[in-house]
Amino acid sequence: MKTTDTPPSATDAAEVPAQRAGTAAKSPSAPAKSGEGKVLNVFSHGVLVLWAIMVVLPLFWAVMSSFKTDTDIFNSPWSLPGSLNFDSWGRAWSQAHMSEYFLNTILVVGGSLVGTLVFGSMAAYVLARFEFPGNRFIYFLFVGGMSFPIMLALVPLFYVMDNMGLLNTIHGLILVYIAYSLPFTVFFLTSFFRTLPTSVAEAAIIDGASHTRTFFQVMLPMAKPGLISVGIFNFLGQWNQYMLPTVLNTDPEKRVLAQGLVELAASQGYKGDYSGLFAGLVIAMLPVLAAYIIFQRQVVSGLTAGALK
Amino acid sequence: MQHGKYRFIVGFLAVPMALYVILVIWPFIQSIYYSFTDWTGLSPDFTMVGFDNYAKMLDDDIFWKSLQHSVLLAVLLPLVTLGLALFFAFMLNVGGRRRKGAAITGVRGSGFYKIAYFFPQVLSIAIVAILFQFAFDPAQGMINGTLKAVGFTDVPDWLGDPKLALWVIMAVLVWCTTGFFVVLFSAGMASIPKDFYEAALLDGASRFTTFFRITLPLLWDTVQSGWVYMGILALGAEGFAIVHIMSVGPGGPDYSTTVLPLYVYQSAFRDGQAAYATTIGVALLLVTLAFAALVMRVGRRERLEF
Amino acid sequence: MGSTSAQHNEGLGRRDLIKRSAALGLIAVPTMSFLSACASGSGDSGDDKVEKGEKTEKNPLAVNGSAPLEIVIFDGGFGTKYAEDARDVYKKTYPEAQIKFSATQKIQSVLQPRFNGGTPPDLIDNSGAQQMDMGVLVGKKQLTDLTPLLDAPSIDDPAKTVRDTLRPGIVEMGQFDGDPVWMLYYAYTVYGVWYSQTALDKLDATYPETWDDMLALCAKAKKQGIAGWTYPGKHPYYIPFSLYPFIGKIGGVEVLNAIDNLEPKAWEHPAVKAAFEAYYELYAKGYILKGTPGLDHRGSQGAWARGKALFIPNGSWVENEEAAIIPKDFKLSVGAPSSLDSSDKLPFGTIWASGGEPFIVPAKAKNPAGGMEQLRIMLSEASSKSFTSNTKSLSAFNGGTDGLELSDGLKSGVAALDKAGTNVVNPRLQDWYVKLQKEQIGVAALGEMMAGRATPAETIKKIQAFADATAKDQSIKHFRHQ
Repeated sequence: MKTTDTPPSATDAAEVPAQRAGTAAKSPSAPAKSGEGKVLNVFSHGVLVLWAIMVVLPLFWAVMSSFKTDTDIFNSPWSLPGSLNFDSWGRAWSQAHMSEYFLNTILVVGGSLVGTLVFGSMAAYVLARFEFPGNRFIYFLFVGGMSFPIMLALVPLFYVMDNMGLLNTIHGLILVYIAYSLPFTVFFLTSFFRTLPTSVAEAAIIDGASHTRTFFQVMLPMAKPGLISVGIFNFLGQWNQYMLPTVLNTDPEKRVLAQGLVELAASQGYKGDYSGLFAGLVIAMLPVLAAYIIFQRQVVSGLTAGALK
Repeated sequence: MQHGKYRFIVGFLAVPMALYVILVIWPFIQSIYYSFTDWTGLSPDFTMVGFDNYAKMLDDDIFWKSLQHSVLLAVLLPLVTLGLALFFAFMLNVGGRRRKGAAITGVRGSGFYKIAYFFPQVLSIAIVAILFQFAFDPAQGMINGTLKAVGFTDVPDWLGDPKLALWVIMAVLVWCTTGFFVVLFSAGMASIPKDFYEAALLDGASRFTTFFRITLPLLWDTVQSGWVYMGILALGAEGFAIVHIMSVGPGGPDYSTTVLPLYVYQSAFRDGQAAYATTIGVALLLVTLAFAALVMRVGRRERLEF
Repeated sequence: MGSTSAQHNEGLGRRDLIKRSAALGLIAVPTMSFLSACASGSGDSGDDKVEKGEKTEKNPLAVNGSAPLEIVIFDGGFGTKYAEDARDVYKKTYPEAQIKFSATQKIQSVLQPRFNGGTPPDLIDNSGAQQMDMGVLVGKKQLTDLTPLLDAPSIDDPAKTVRDTLRPGIVEMGQFDGDPVWMLYYAYTVYGVWYSQTALDKLDATYPETWDDMLALCAKAKKQGIAGWTYPGKHPYYIPFSLYPFIGKIGGVEVLNAIDNLEPKAWEHPAVKAAFEAYYELYAKGYILKGTPGLDHRGSQGAWARGKALFIPNGSWVENEEAAIIPKDFKLSVGAPSSLDSSDKLPFGTIWASGGEPFIVPAKAKNPAGGMEQLRIMLSEASSKSFTSNTKSLSAFNGGTDGLELSDGLKSGVAALDKAGTNVVNPRLQDWYVKLQKEQIGVAALGEMMAGRATPAETIKKIQAFADATAKDQSIKHFRHQ
């Protein structure tokens, strides 16, 4: 296993044979200590590299397969593509309606993300900052929803949506996403609003601002780290959502990406068009991966800013 | 002022509550009601049948298999995922070679690892499931291709083998959830003051002792919420998606991968037994609640302030 | 990605108000009935049917020519072109009719709520992986009896009724309990062992008429590195396509009928045991393509079309489905089950052929006469020809192949039907008890046996237990051969 470590310096190099032979001393003396650090370093690098390979390899394999012809894919999974074959990409893009599915997904996830944050923070703010009869009850009603299996509600939900004329519509799906994201969002933001200082809001109220204005102009900006954090959680959750659209959204033209891909897997497979399928997968993967790599700092810091305290 | 306050409270709670009650709470209540009927979902007429569905469920082998698999997922997945994630996060933050002036350092390139590990999390679960369905394809898949290249002749059928299929599904779930927790725990570890470690190391503690004495207790809250979060995912949406897309049947071979949410789905939207589906759903609800309560109970610890 | 900024939020205040009022309106407008899953309060089934038209010679079903008609077609292996052609004929006959035509792969999820709400379309092709459970639909009286259609004069020859123009077995297949015909299977599928005549020629072999020859041929192929058999390991309910007629051939039709009727001990018949053991031998001798248990239907058909295996149990749709990868010189053919030995009850040539693509007219359809008229049009010679040329499959209309250029597989299917004569068997498990057939017998039992993880004896015991449980389950409607 080759590590990506930089070449060790001379003093370190002397110790390398010792640990290769597995004779790292276990006594708590100082030199051994650094030996232990050394072993740990090589070991930890080894393990970390191994997992990184396990993560990246399947993705790499998919990209590679999308350039191969079907016959090549059938004959050997690891052979390099003979030539860069872009036909499959064209096929996947045009036949699989990738662009439409992307648009639908962005609409649904975007709409529900905004809705979730707005409604979730409104409810959380009231629950965190105001005393009124029923406050605890409503709070627990929301929080309890976190452990409800969605599947149980799906059968009646399907008919409730149908009777409201929301089945197979983008806005219907958005409303359902919002409703099912509320428990976690309310739980998270309620505790977050409780940690915010009260003085600023009180000052605003004394200055004659209405509660509503105080919330939107004073509290929300203060709660930004929490909102970003819970927003990322919800984005990942809603982007990943497969069960809800599978049941509630069966109109082929309104499919979201996840459904589109599963459908593509079925239909490309029908035609034996594996390269087209891999191209479809890669097309679906790339924008998200690119976005993540560009914004990864914000994602990671946002994820942890509100989540840890 | 008071009057304005209540108007404000009602105004702010109205929409979220309405959405939540109509689309979440109400269907749940209906579900429980339907589980006492013989509703098919294919026609509007049904009658009350008392506990018939429940009796049928307790006598249903497939239900018990689904329950077993769901519980297994809910117990094992968080264990493996969080264990791995803690290990990696610790390596990233503490596994580095000693540099001047710091007792504890992360490995070089930890930033790169964090980016790479998080990849699976941003891919939609459907993409992951389809990708691995092909990776595990016995004839043209990447995994058997690699095994054959290394010289194995007798390669497994993976998803086609009832002994392996559920493990394959678990491995894929671990693959796509670990990175998220690595990033989360890393951030947590980074916020632990360095002098805690310095002091412990001066006292002659090994790094692994410091992990169990310092890191884990300080991260315990995060680990516990991760545990609940992960378990609920395994019992619900993610477990369903992976099994529904990847497994043979889905739910096979020989019911070796069927899970409760999948069985609910199939009963309702395939077998025309909506009432029975809600009955299984009620069982799923009980399992999920029991799981959350258990984790909260067992996981209760002294909170360490730092 | 999900980042909101403060300025953003200020704008949201106003937009949020608009959103809020919109959402409130949305919640306030519908009455309370939307909150219940079963809005059965109306109970006015049949009251809102369209008025009947005038019954004439040209219009025996008394179709109201100005009434709207809604058709939903399964968009699968056969495509939708044939149905669109027939719709155009209806349009020409009744130019005033508003026709709504849609196609989907997910019949159940699209139509389930409409059945439940009492507003189903007028004609449905209830097919595919997501087909609605026929047993439930019949049991819950959700379908229209198609007898008036069968007794109506046919389009091509008014002296003949529609019933007289159908292939054998089609009418019986639509009967679940007694006389009413609840569905009309429009496609006519030949099931059996599918192979490439070219591949057999290369091995100097002909299609094996006895099981011993089959084993010998598989041994010969194995020496060349070719597997004898493959099957969709992920959907092992393909195995019955050749295994059930094999059982019927060995033990007679009664054995299959007993199985369909869920009779106790039906699976313990010696014919079942003999057939299972013969198939198990394919596994035991290593004649099954490696990795088969992990292949789906496309994977196994792909391997087979590429010459990695000789035989695959399948139905006549495979020709259309794999049209893209079946080589030009493949000479696709279908074989009847080989003879086990001379004591077989039925001669070689016995084959399973039956209807596919069940068309139904819902009981609560607004325009049931229109739905049936559309079916009557589809059962004319012209429509049947359009179906056959579009799908490389036969239709329920007996004939309609004259003057058509038949593809290899279709030719071989017609020849197989000729050879079978009256020895056509028609097992019904897959229509009556979908879950039992596909999931329990297919995946849980036969799949395990063919992968070598269960012996024939264990498998028979397992299947018998599944069948008994289905027979015992009062929530499932049971059917019997008439």
